[in-house]
Order: sequence, then C-alpha cells, then structure tokens
Amino acid sequence: MKTNSLSRPVSQSLKEYARGVAGGLLFSFPMLYTMEVWWAGFIATPFQLMVLIVVTYLLLLGYNRYAGMRPDASWRSVFVDSVEEMGLGVILSFGILLMLNRISLHGMSVEELMSKVIIEAMAISIGVSVGTAQLGVEPDDAEEENGEEQDRIRQEQKRGSGKMATAVIALCGAILVGGNVAPTEEILMIAVEAEPVHILSMALVSLVLSTVVVSFSDFRNTSAVLNGNVVFNILYDTCISYLIALAASAFSLWFFGRFDGVSFWIVTAQCITLGVIATLGASAGRLLIK
Amino acid sequence: MEVTKEKENKETKDPKNLLEWGVFTVGLVLVLAIFAYLGYETYTHAPMSPELSVEYWPAPTKAQPYRYHVLVRNTGGETAESVTLELVMQQGSTVIERSELQIMYVPQESEREGWINFSRKPATANAVSARIMSYQKP
Repeated sequence: MKTNSLSRPVSQSLKEYARGVAGGLLFSFPMLYTMEVWWAGFIATPFQLMVLIVVTYLLLLGYNRYAGMRPDASWRSVFVDSVEEMGLGVILSFGILLMLNRISLHGMSVEELMSKVIIEAMAISIGVSVGTAQLGVEPDDAEEENGEEQDRIRQEQKRGSGKMATAVIALCGAILVGGNVAPTEEILMIAVEAEPVHILSMALVSLVLSTVVVSFSDFRNTSAVLNGNVVFNILYDTCISYLIALAASAFSLWFFGRFDGVSFWIVTAQCITLGVIATLGASAGRLLIK
Repeated sequence: MEVTKEKENKETKDPKNLLEWGVFTVGLVLVLAIFAYLGYETYTHAPMSPELSVEYWPAPTKAQPYRYHVLVRNTGGETAESVTLELVMQQGSTVIERSELQIMYVPQESEREGWINFSRKPATANAVSARIMSYQKP
C-alpha cells in the first residue's frame, strides 16, 4: 500500500467513470434501441460472439493506446483500462436491457440473455472508452503544461507510428459510427433499390466528405511540417480513411449476416452505402486525436 | 537497481486506487466468465435445425371466451424466424375453424407465447389441434 499516497483520488476515478458511462450510453443508445441488434445476438453463433469480443478488445486497446490515455501510459495500464471498460459495458448493457424489458431473468433462456447482453456490451464499451477520453478535459496537475509539451515532442518523434495511430483511430470511429446503422434493414434496402449511379455518387460523396474532414483536421495545424507535398498527403490520407471505413463496414455487415446469400454486387452496394456513414466516423475519429 | 526504479516510476505514473482495481477485477471476472461460457457453447455447439413444439390450452376471458393460450418452444440449436402456426378446430373429421399466429423469432432453447381466438366454443376438449405451418432460417 505504499503507492496509496500516490494513487489517484477516488473522486477523480468516479468522475472518469461518470464520463465513461455518459459516453457509453451516448454512443450506443441507438443500438440498444434497435431490434435488429437484439436479434443479431441470438442469431450469432457463440464463436461469432467470441470473435466480436476479441475484435472489440483489440479496438479498445488501440483506441486507449493512441487516443484515450496519456501517450506515456504504460501498456499495463492500457490493458487494465480496456478490461475495466469492457466490464462497465457488460454491466451497463445488462442493466439497460433489463430496464427496457429486452431480457428477463425468468422465462428467458441463458443463451438468449447472454447473447443480447454481450452484443450490446461491446458497443457500449467502445462508447465508454471514447467518453472517458473525450467528454471534458481534466485539469490534471501543475505538471500538465509540461506534460503536454512533452507529449507534443514525443508525438513529433513518433511520426513513424503516427500513421498507425491515425489508422487505429479511424477504425474505431468507423466502427462506432457505422456500427449504429449497420444492423438496420435500411442499409440492405438502400443497397438493393439503388441503381449503380446512386452507389457511384455515394462513393464520391464519401471521398469528398473524407477529404474535407481530413484536410481540416490534419493539415490545418501541421502544414508547416509537410514538405510542400500537401496534395499527396491529403490523397493518401483520404484513401486510407476510406479503405478503413469500407473494411469496418464490411466487418459489421458480415457480423450482422448481411452477406449471406447475396450477390457480389449487393455486397459491394451495402459496403458503399454504409461506407458513407463509416467514412464520416473514420475521418471525424481523427479529429478526436489531439 | 536503476532499471527497477525507472520501472516503478513508470508504474506509479498512472497509479490506480482501490475502486479502480475493484472495477478492473469485476470487469476481468465478467469478461473471463463470458469467454468461458462462449467457449463451452462453441465446444458443445452442433449445427442443428430449429426444433419447434407447440403447447396450447384454453384461457378464456370475459371478452374472449374462446381464447387459447399458445406456447411455442424451440429446443433446437438454431433460431427460427417468421414462425407461423395454426390451431384447427374440428368436429369429427370436418374442419370448422382455423386460426393463425405469427411469431417473428423463436431463438434456440427459448419459448415465445401468444393467444389465439376462436369464434365459437369447441365441441369437445380435444377438438382443437395445433401445428407449426412454417418458419425460416434467419
């Protein structure tokens, strides 16, 4: 207990949890109130649910490493915090689903209860992570300014891993924003009823959106660092953002069983349709990295 | 010696209090329990089509005197979607009345309930029979 005097005050942890809970609910209430998500729970096989948990944990690790916590946080803390967030997600998911009468403790099989809780918990835990990091800035200590300066230097030094960080953040943003819409029937409906010209325009709009957000988020402050090759960088980042958004769309659509027994064209159309939203998430996610 | 000190410094940079360790422990236990459960389910999971059975019994009310309570149970290993079932009222070999009930989903190892109304009183207690008409793979 010698670290007791050094450890964070309980009130600060409580504040962080409050932010986490607020963020978790803010980002995942749409999913908690969507029936396709409850159904996805019991339609998914146990193995698929395990894959989902692992993927979510990896996303949490990535997000906490690159955006959620101070850059000098140790990996141990990142692992521990990710588990905490997942635990909070499970508890919140259980409580909210119980409140909404989507699960009940008697008359419902364990399979159904568990699958609904797990699938919603994963969405909530990413929200908890983002909420803890983004909702409000904690004025830490007197060393904050010093720390910030250090962070900046470190970030400059770590430009090599900067691309990696952006990719991870983009992926989290894409999953968080796109995941809310992925389970709905509307994506399939739009994709099935769209003519190729619609799909093409969706793809173009996604690229434009991505470019706009990327150029305003990334290049406003760092233009001095670039070697004049702004166009290349914007193009590069836009492409990466869009590809990540499409990959995130594809994963979430696959998870919700939207690829079963449909033609390649419908698969593509669905990815592009969801991609519009996921791109915004991917690019906006990068605004969060500061 | 210096290395351990440095390490200690790093560890205490984000020190945790008892509350946080508590939340971490609860979180870890929950996640591990979920994994154990899912692992067990994956191990014992055999692809098995839905296995639906119907139970029904009279449940009259003042406004619906010929109401039947219907319980559909899925003991199979897969969810059944759009389950349609019918209750048939017969007199001898002639069908007097049919009533249908549609249930959106009956998950595996789960049951769903509903009610069916007839417009007249069944002649005998066993004049009513039930069958699952159709369901689809989700």
